[in-house]
Amino acid sequence: MNEPDTLGASLTRTGISRRSFLKFCTAMASLMALPPSAAYAMADALQRTQRQSVIWLSFQECTGCVESLTRSFDPTLEQMIFEMISLDYQHTLQAASGTAAESAREQAMKASYGKYLLIVDGSIPTKDGGVYSTVAGISNYDMLVETAKGAAAIVSVGTCSSYGGIPHANPNPTGAVAVTDIIKDKPVMNVPGCPPIPSVIAGVLAYFVTYGKLPELDHLNRPKVFFADTIHDRCYRRPFYDQGKFAKTFDDEGARNGWCLYELGCKGPTTYNACATIKWNGGVSFPIESGHGCLGCSEPNFWDKGSFYQPLPTPLADNAPVIAAATLGGIAVGTVAAVVSRKHQADIGTKEGK
Amino acid sequence: MDLLQFARGPALTWAFAIFVFGMSWRLLGILLLKRRPDYSEPRHATSWPGAIKLIITRSWPRREFRPRTVFGLSVGYIFHFGLVIVVFGFAPHIMFFRSLTGLDWPNLPNAVIYISGAITIAALIIVLGRRLTNPVMRLLSNFDDYFSWFVTITPVVTGMLAVAHLGARYETLLAVHILSIALLLVWFPFGKLMHSALIFISRGTTGALFERKGASI
Amino acid sequence: MSTADIDSKHPLELDQPRFSVKNPEQRYDKQGDMPDAQRVETAMRHFVKDFGAVAATYMESCIHCGMCAEACHFYVATEDPKYTPIWKLEPFKQAYKREAGPFAAIYRALNLKKKVTVEQLEEWQELIYDSCTMCGRCTLICPMGIDIASLVGLARHGMNKAGLVPHELWAVAERAEREGSPLGATPKVFKDRCEWLADDNEVEIFVDKPQADVIAAMSSIEIMKYPDSIVATAKILNHLGLNWTFRTDGYEATNFGMLSGNSEWQKEMSLKLINATIAAGAKLLILPECGHAYGAMRWQGANVYGKPLPFRVLHISEFLAENTKSGALKTKPLGKTLTFHDPCQVSRRGGAVEAPRDVLDGLGAELIEMQDTKGVNWCCGGGGGVVTIHRADPLRYKAFQIKMKQVDDTGAELLVSSCSNCRQTFDDGQDHFHWDKTMLSLLELVADNLEDK
Repeated sequence: MNEPDTLGASLTRTGISRRSFLKFCTAMASLMALPPSAAYAMADALQRTQRQSVIWLSFQECTGCVESLTRSFDPTLEQMIFEMISLDYQHTLQAASGTAAESAREQAMKASYGKYLLIVDGSIPTKDGGVYSTVAGISNYDMLVETAKGAAAIVSVGTCSSYGGIPHANPNPTGAVAVTDIIKDKPVMNVPGCPPIPSVIAGVLAYFVTYGKLPELDHLNRPKVFFADTIHDRCYRRPFYDQGKFAKTFDDEGARNGWCLYELGCKGPTTYNACATIKWNGGVSFPIESGHGCLGCSEPNFWDKGSFYQPLPTPLADNAPVIAAATLGGIAVGTVAAVVSRKHQADIGTKEGK
Repeated sequence: MDLLQFARGPALTWAFAIFVFGMSWRLLGILLLKRRPDYSEPRHATSWPGAIKLIITRSWPRREFRPRTVFGLSVGYIFHFGLVIVVFGFAPHIMFFRSLTGLDWPNLPNAVIYISGAITIAALIIVLGRRLTNPVMRLLSNFDDYFSWFVTITPVVTGMLAVAHLGARYETLLAVHILSIALLLVWFPFGKLMHSALIFISRGTTGALFERKGASI
Repeated sequence: MSTADIDSKHPLELDQPRFSVKNPEQRYDKQGDMPDAQRVETAMRHFVKDFGAVAATYMESCIHCGMCAEACHFYVATEDPKYTPIWKLEPFKQAYKREAGPFAAIYRALNLKKKVTVEQLEEWQELIYDSCTMCGRCTLICPMGIDIASLVGLARHGMNKAGLVPHELWAVAERAEREGSPLGATPKVFKDRCEWLADDNEVEIFVDKPQADVIAAMSSIEIMKYPDSIVATAKILNHLGLNWTFRTDGYEATNFGMLSGNSEWQKEMSLKLINATIAAGAKLLILPECGHAYGAMRWQGANVYGKPLPFRVLHISEFLAENTKSGALKTKPLGKTLTFHDPCQVSRRGGAVEAPRDVLDGLGAELIEMQDTKGVNWCCGGGGGVVTIHRADPLRYKAFQIKMKQVDDTGAELLVSSCSNCRQTFDDGQDHFHWDKTMLSLLELVADNLEDK
């Protein structure tokens, strides 16, 4: 893996035609809203440059992100991803284990120091010295800090590494944090989602390989091209929202008519992701199309924002006890106020009598 | 905790608490003041029909007063109706009330809501202009009048911005909208917005007292 | 200041067409020599002293819509915003919020509502007294149903205690308290008048019969200025064959204690009439053609007395109506068109709206109603003691023009009312504007047209 290794050579070796490679590049370019000429630039760059060295660290995670990527329905997509990068360490996918695996990471770090791309999935537990997740006896925290030192950039794949995700949810027993909570001196791009859309991962990787930098990011370090709009903005059920037509239950007339799922707790209006446009499983569908509201899985703290089925504009807390207590308190204070005023008035009357 | 979580969580909880606390405080503080028995021989022995009558009939002016009050009343009616339509007809608002009370009712089409909201804002601006330019209203007005106006129009404006996704991200707009409701709830019991409850008490009181005397209401 | 001093400074000119003291220059009147701070304190404390749940509800309910201005003759005539009815209570609203409202403790602790100053109260003297007849027209327009007129009454209590009453009103009230009548109609004067009226008119006028079924009372305006009303009352009661009398220990129905805001005096004045009626064993007290006398006795009398009155109280128009409808009162047809001016305290606020119309119907007169009539009738501008206050004259004349127009628009031949205070205001206005309409008394109209027996 240490010899100069271009994607072009690799493609030739694996027998992928230039036609299907261009098709991939065009798809990626259009996905990221780049001009048509960018597809050729991308193809050119990808073919000529040395394959990007990538170290992939999986921390406190469920492997859902990797599963999502590898189970992509488009047969060429995962292939393309793995063709255009040199995945030097990924403990779910690599054949090596134990000391051999770890030495592969150290070797890759040394060989491409300052140039490799670090991909992280999973959150990093920080409580109790980080003992809740270790790899080869090294805590996730230590491994991240060490590996990040030589990285050109870091991509946090999935909500866990982007925001802490489910491990971060209340009460967060392991003290799970996001990559950006620990690494402050490297460019970090978040590709949140539980899991993220595979094409989105592919797209941003292609961009990095082509242009040697991360695409434009928003205030939460997300690539703007995929995370600029809400699900709600792009949802095909949006016209029903605008007309005020809502499904009230999952099996009522409205649900059968495909009306808006806002009342059933859909988090589409506050969730920034590309699900409604790129969709899943090779563009087949996405949760709302399948009849279920958006969970907002690509948003920070999505697990702690009340029930998935609680509509957005409703209060989060159960306010009934507070309201009852405050009413009683008000009655008490109001009664006292009236009694004091009565006494005050009576005092004036008494003074007058003298 | 992000802004929307703060708005939907602690901000609303506190606002509800202050709202009901202030409401019961103020109402009890008024209603429990002393009441004198009236020994005069009533012209009409039962006085409550007068209370009902005044509560209903004072909703529009007597014929004699119409020419001099028609403009102010019309604008007032427009924004009150607009508020009712927007507050109780918009589906997300109904969800809000359902989550609090368990009550549910059919919503109005959003187009109706948007038009009502725009008309309400326009009417509220006219109302403010009138308050600032009409010599009588200007003389009478104090902080309460202007602040109550502000806390009334703010939720309408923020709500309209939120549905139009104008000016900020939706979750921020929604949070600001909910926070503006919280502000409205907090101010409600302490200022003139309380008239929404007092109107029944005040009209009813006069109606009953005057019915007893047979006086004009 | 002793009473003699007051009278020498502001002599009551009893021979003039209108009874009052003359002192036309703009001024603020004060009684007593209380320090200013104490004056304010006293005014505010006595304003809130009588505050109950009803007044508090009103004070809390105002939404500052300003509609009450449109109902007030003083505002409509001048378009001066300070005459907005609820604005007349502004310092008192401040006092209420500080002293009796539900948040009073907070207002006091944080000084959110400032203490009222004596300058404010001096300024408000004009608004509380000169420019409010307590006619209650504003009560009818208020979208919150606030009875503003009753609040002005409460505010007058505070002003009175603080010695901040317009001089004339205070002087007549004080005189009424001292002499039994505000305009010098002492028991002796009254008795003498009754005697010579009886002689002149050849009518039997009973005075001080020990026992009677019916007690009649008069207003001092009638006794001094419209004595024909005494004759008319006697004629009608005799025509009906009733066992009736006037009583020198209770004949004065006006209550300047109430108008000036002195509740002690109000009580004393009312009790005289109540006790006299009880002493005679009467079952009915007939109140004269006087607006505020009706409110004072019909609606406040029992509350002053502390229990239900053991006799009926009727305004003369109600009494006439009852007897017209029963057929006991027989009159000759009048055959003229007339319009009727509703006295605020009897009609709008007293509830006797239809009674005078029943009487006029019995008279066979063609009643042409004014544009705004019955409960929403425009006030003559002289009630609530305003007609006694000289400095209020220019304002009152402006307001009176509304009334003149209303009357002229009917085109009726005659103008009738059943309140001597309104009548006095009309007479003064007629004189000032050289108007061709003379206000007639309903009572006298009936008495003049009784069928001969």
